[in-house]
Amino acid sequence: MADLEVPKELKEEAKGHDMYLHPIDKDTYELFFGPQHMATENFSIILKMDGNRIERAIVNPGFLHRGFEKLSEHRPYFSNIALILRICVPESDVPENIYSMAVDEIVGWEVPDRAIWIRNVVLEMARMSSWLFWIMGFGNEIGLYTAGQWAAAYRERFMRLFEELTGGRVYHIYTVPGGVRRDIPGDKWLRQLRDTVEYIKSKMKDFDEILFDNYIMFERTEGVGVMDKKFALKHAVTGPNLRAVGVPYDVRKDDPYYLYDQLDFEVPILKEGDSLARTLVRRYEMEQDLYILEQLLDMGPPNGPHMVQDARLKALPRFKPPKGEAYAHVESTKGDFGAFVVSDGTHKPYRAHFRGPSQSHGVTVLEELLKGARLADVPVILKTLDNCPPDLDR
Amino acid sequence: MDMNEKPKVEEKVEEKVENAQPVEENKPELPDTTEGKLVEVLLEKAPYAEGEVIRKRRVKFTVPAERIHEFLELASEKFEMLMQISVVDWLKEGQFEVNYQLWSLSESVHAFVKTRIPRDDAKLPTVMDIWPVAETYEREAHEFFGIIFEGNPRLGPFILEPREYEKHPLRKDFNTLSYAKTIYGEDFDRFDESKTNYVI
Repeated sequence: MADLEVPKELKEEAKGHDMYLHPIDKDTYELFFGPQHMATENFSIILKMDGNRIERAIVNPGFLHRGFEKLSEHRPYFSNIALILRICVPESDVPENIYSMAVDEIVGWEVPDRAIWIRNVVLEMARMSSWLFWIMGFGNEIGLYTAGQWAAAYRERFMRLFEELTGGRVYHIYTVPGGVRRDIPGDKWLRQLRDTVEYIKSKMKDFDEILFDNYIMFERTEGVGVMDKKFALKHAVTGPNLRAVGVPYDVRKDDPYYLYDQLDFEVPILKEGDSLARTLVRRYEMEQDLYILEQLLDMGPPNGPHMVQDARLKALPRFKPPKGEAYAHVESTKGDFGAFVVSDGTHKPYRAHFRGPSQSHGVTVLEELLKGARLADVPVILKTLDNCPPDLDR
Repeated sequence: MDMNEKPKVEEKVEEKVENAQPVEENKPELPDTTEGKLVEVLLEKAPYAEGEVIRKRRVKFTVPAERIHEFLELASEKFEMLMQISVVDWLKEGQFEVNYQLWSLSESVHAFVKTRIPRDDAKLPTVMDIWPVAETYEREAHEFFGIIFEGNPRLGPFILEPREYEKHPLRKDFNTLSYAKTIYGEDFDRFDESKTNYVI
């Protein structure tokens, strides 16, 4: 193949970014992985390869940056909901919830019991549909497409329930400061949710047979991308990735919000810290989530209003919370998702900063884990870390 | 158990107050909870800092910028994880407020460690040696606010495009609309800056 002439300007710009755009020497070469690669989801990694092995990886985010934090400083408190939920697409309820929790704390609102119950159910539904979405991606990465297609089909059931509840399939704009935007459609919806939970519970066995207990999965993930406990703690890795190295940290247990202190569930942990452990922790958590949803449905929604009764809510665009700041965090499927909101007493937030879980495990940790891995392991490590680029880019 | 334990703790607190009354007169009293004890232990080692309990599982420390590294090193014994570094730009006061958000796995307490630095000379020592994850957060804070973290080798363009790198878009005096106009030119003619209705 003839050598392609790279423009001089581009070469210089690339050099400034620690890239070279040409073979470095006889044995090593540079490989751009993503952002168009399916596995990376709008994310790019520059790999320095020695044959089939990765010598060095440089994470190159920024293909997605939409400036939500700056934009949220220019919009009234309630308008921001429609913006920040786009931070995490597979579980868009998480940014809604943390932002609402932080604003609730600044204003000093006590959210009604009914709204808390609904928010909790919505969060667990979001977790469940996000697990299914993850199975879809992970199944595709290791070539088990059937599992992925099943998962996508089952997720559709949650999408329909969300559509009936909120009016939106992916972006719900449902949880707002002070409660939820509207009430549950009726008992029929609750029955449908219970049916869905039971249906997916019955399908977990199929997932085990085709994906989690599969020879191919074990071959591809065992001993790949191993993390140890000290490394994970120093890098503030959270969520299933941390639980796979043996630390039982779960925001739902350690900093309980909503009804989690009344619910009975376990935090599964494994100690190996490799891709297999991370996958299996996720599989056990799916089971726990289904169990939590069952308990919530047994509890039933308490009677009462679904919004705080406050006269200030009548003039929403000019709603002004008092001065103050708050930090709220929840357990998302990717880890500890947090929001830090500062109010200066005007009708717009002075600053809103979000802690995406991928911020900690998507840059330095990924670069470290990729060192020495094979090229074929890159999607596996990416997917088992569950790196979500919008968390990082925002 | 609780009935037996409570009087003992009260006695201890009384003794301490008697011994150290002249020094601690102005300081607010800390509640007799896990959070209160945590703050008390840390403040004993670091008398230059101020600490308070916000609510259950939330504490706050204010530290002068010169001693932030020293304080965070002390705090890292109890607070194992650095969750985030958030910067708030207080334009009127001419200061950046840097919030180190820590999480204690053993005590389940979230802590803000706040420090203030001048906007025109924004420099802080890096905390990468305590928590390597700080590298990412510091790169982000550097890119969006222009704070220089001395000792961090990877400060430079990270998320934004190189042409945006020197602009520090999350500063309060960065005008999003006029920047977009200079970049996109004619496409932005339909916007009228004098109108206050636009939210951009």
